[in-house]
Amino acid sequence: MKTPIITIDQELCTGCGRCREICPVGAISGMPDTPHEVDSTRCILCGQCVQICSGYDSANETFATSRVERLKQRGMLPTVKEPLFAAHYRGDINAVVAALQQPDTFTIVQCAPAVRVAIGEEFGMPYGTLTPGKLSAALHALGFNRVYDTNFAADLTIMEEGAELINRIKNKGRLPMFTSCCPGWVKYVEDQHDDLLDHLSSCKSPQQMAGTLFKTYGAKLDGIDPAHVFSVAVMPCTCKKFECERPEMNSSGYQDVDLVITTRELAQLIKHCGIDFTSLPDEAFDNPLGCYTGAGNIFGATGGVMEAALRSACEMLTGTPLPSLELEYVRGEEGIRRATICHEGVELKVTIVAGLQYVGSVLEQVRRGEADFHFLEVMCCPMGCVSGGGQPKILLPAQRLEAHAGRKAGLYSHDKSLTVRKSHENPQIKKLYENFLGEPLGHEAHHLLHTDHQQNRRAV
Amino acid sequence: MNMPYRLNRFVIADPGKCIGCRVCEIACAAVHEKEQTPLTVGNMQNPVQPRLYLVRSVQGSVPIQCRHCEDAPCAAACPVLAITQKEDVIFVDESLCVGCKTCMLACPFGALKLVPVFENGLPVEQNLPLHPESQHQGGSTAGEKEEYKQLHVASKCDRCSGLAEPACVANCPQQALKVIQPERHLTMRMHEAALSLAAVARKYAS
Amino acid sequence: MNAFVIGDAELCIGCQACMVACAQAHEKMPTAALNERETPFHSRITVVNAPEVTVAVQCRHCEDSPCARSCPVEAIVQKNAHIEVIKEKCIGCKSCVLACPFGAIKIIEDDMNCAAIFISPHDGTAHDRIEKAHFVVEKCDLCAGCGSPACVAICPAKALQLVEPDAIAQKIENRRIKNANRIRLYRSQLA
Repeated sequence: MKTPIITIDQELCTGCGRCREICPVGAISGMPDTPHEVDSTRCILCGQCVQICSGYDSANETFATSRVERLKQRGMLPTVKEPLFAAHYRGDINAVVAALQQPDTFTIVQCAPAVRVAIGEEFGMPYGTLTPGKLSAALHALGFNRVYDTNFAADLTIMEEGAELINRIKNKGRLPMFTSCCPGWVKYVEDQHDDLLDHLSSCKSPQQMAGTLFKTYGAKLDGIDPAHVFSVAVMPCTCKKFECERPEMNSSGYQDVDLVITTRELAQLIKHCGIDFTSLPDEAFDNPLGCYTGAGNIFGATGGVMEAALRSACEMLTGTPLPSLELEYVRGEEGIRRATICHEGVELKVTIVAGLQYVGSVLEQVRRGEADFHFLEVMCCPMGCVSGGGQPKILLPAQRLEAHAGRKAGLYSHDKSLTVRKSHENPQIKKLYENFLGEPLGHEAHHLLHTDHQQNRRAV
Repeated sequence: MNMPYRLNRFVIADPGKCIGCRVCEIACAAVHEKEQTPLTVGNMQNPVQPRLYLVRSVQGSVPIQCRHCEDAPCAAACPVLAITQKEDVIFVDESLCVGCKTCMLACPFGALKLVPVFENGLPVEQNLPLHPESQHQGGSTAGEKEEYKQLHVASKCDRCSGLAEPACVANCPQQALKVIQPERHLTMRMHEAALSLAAVARKYAS
Repeated sequence: MNAFVIGDAELCIGCQACMVACAQAHEKMPTAALNERETPFHSRITVVNAPEVTVAVQCRHCEDSPCARSCPVEAIVQKNAHIEVIKEKCIGCKSCVLACPFGAIKIIEDDMNCAAIFISPHDGTAHDRIEKAHFVVEKCDLCAGCGSPACVAICPAKALQLVEPDAIAQKIENRRIKNANRIRLYRSQLA
């Protein structure tokens, strides 16, 4: 049994209670001025407590555990110099270092959209600096054999999830359909609202779709035995560490994603290896599984999955593209946003929840049968993945909003600058269906890219 | 000096509001980094060395920092004029400090400390020669034996005089810290006292 | 208990004679010479002139006084029947200013020649530094050195009164007696 993913260091916690207040599921408890604890049965691993915690290893206090020991306990690199905080997540970087040193291991890495607008911050760049080129260059320099992209799988998710939504609408399936990209949200529905499980889209998250493809399609392209593939995901999220370890996530015949590291862990590894991130020349992600559209890229912000889905679903439903790709009505920062899209006689109603603490009333509405919308997007973190638990931790609380807004702006400006901005127009996605998957929701796609939430629940 | 002199402003915390989260310490250390102010934790390559100190006890928590005394004992004690009045703060010029520690003894608040000097995450060495048999413990990791002795200089609150508002005040999630301007504080208190006299004094005195 | 001077808000006419008398009483030099001096005029009593009220405010000589308890260098002490500042000890930290609920403590520029700290000009080097004036805490000492409080003696409106412990004790005793008599008046109703 591995150590729990989110824990609070009892030695460093001062009991200020800010983590208790920010936890969207009330999983943290403790008396003022005494160390707090995480109830792992309630915790959805979003890592917001890790982001807000400010109880650090002060040099003005003496602790029984030395810094060297603490780094080791947390699975961090011994060269890490940054201060260590009470609320923290399990580090997995040492296994990545080991895999990179194994000569007979074929390492494949993927990066979530929100990583490329935040990792620069760890090297002194302003909030939200967009660095996909440097990110890819750094991963190549670290020695990964293939540098692929979660964005590709995000486009794939839209193909499958869009098709599923249309299918549910046409065939009077269970509505509203819930997104299933956010593993914390999925865990929350499983843990606390299992009567609503059939609302969840059966699509795996982009990370897991990518992982499955790397060890099937990807391995085939490279002529590699998937048993030798070591698949790493770089995520803005702490719950992704949990998701990759779920027992059912093995459609490729192996654990689809072997290891998840956070944006911060990758930055620490880059520093550890002495790579000067800021002066790296831009490099592209590897083809074919690193090719992406603007739609895949905006998955990292609240409303992004919705916007990407609408760009494709409206076109698939009516045969005519949307007049504008700037769907401002689904972007925004409120906890709950609702919108109605009328296009060529088709009316789609959507709801977007940013921050899991806001979801309660929406779920009640669904449970009472009063939900009049078709599609619900939920992201556990306040602005979506850009503010995820594994993202660079902002030092000054007064700058939190500015930082999140900067990262979000980075994602949308990247989307705007790309020539292909609709998932179904991604040439490599078309090729993937032609050569390998068949069609969305087809037999192969169903086997590799979908999961059965009811069955997973029963298995627990 | 016939001009009315403005008393030194200073920052003080309300123990009733403080929750002991240490954000003030982090914010303080961040804005005092020599290079640019780091935005994220990953940029904090030097150990966190705040200029205010959270004191935790059974009665609760409260940070303690410099009061910018008018007749500052630390400045009076400094043999090399490294501590002076600069505009309305008592300021330590670290480049002049010789590390004599007298100021540390003089300060009645414990607000002044000699701290090890780091640059880009690495300890800065002293220039003095070491005895060949001497074993010094330096570096950022306790117990690590080094061939040098690390530079230490006096460090204290400068009330973030370059910023619009001190970082500790601006970032406290409880608004427990505030800047006191002594003259304004006095006027307010006297006004309140006068009002209370208006209410009770006549009945009380006669 | 400590004695103290208290102002009467209804009688005070706001003339500030008390402030002048206070400043003068605490000067060692003759009145005529005061005008020649460079340091400003300081009074330990302040007339608050607000729209709602006009009254003089000064130290109440609290028992277990907050100012004395807040002082880190024991420069504020109980002396005989009042609270006194030992200005040679004061470092100007302003703790007492925060602690006093009446705003009765002031930090003033003092002519005492023991300043040891320097002011650094914005761009100056060490040898350009000039000596800073000496600042100390001052507050009402009930004119302990010269008999009775000067403010009380000078007030033309009789708005200031020296309250002495014995007098308070007598006064409240009188009130009790009066009220005991009142109770007797309505005792039948209580029964």
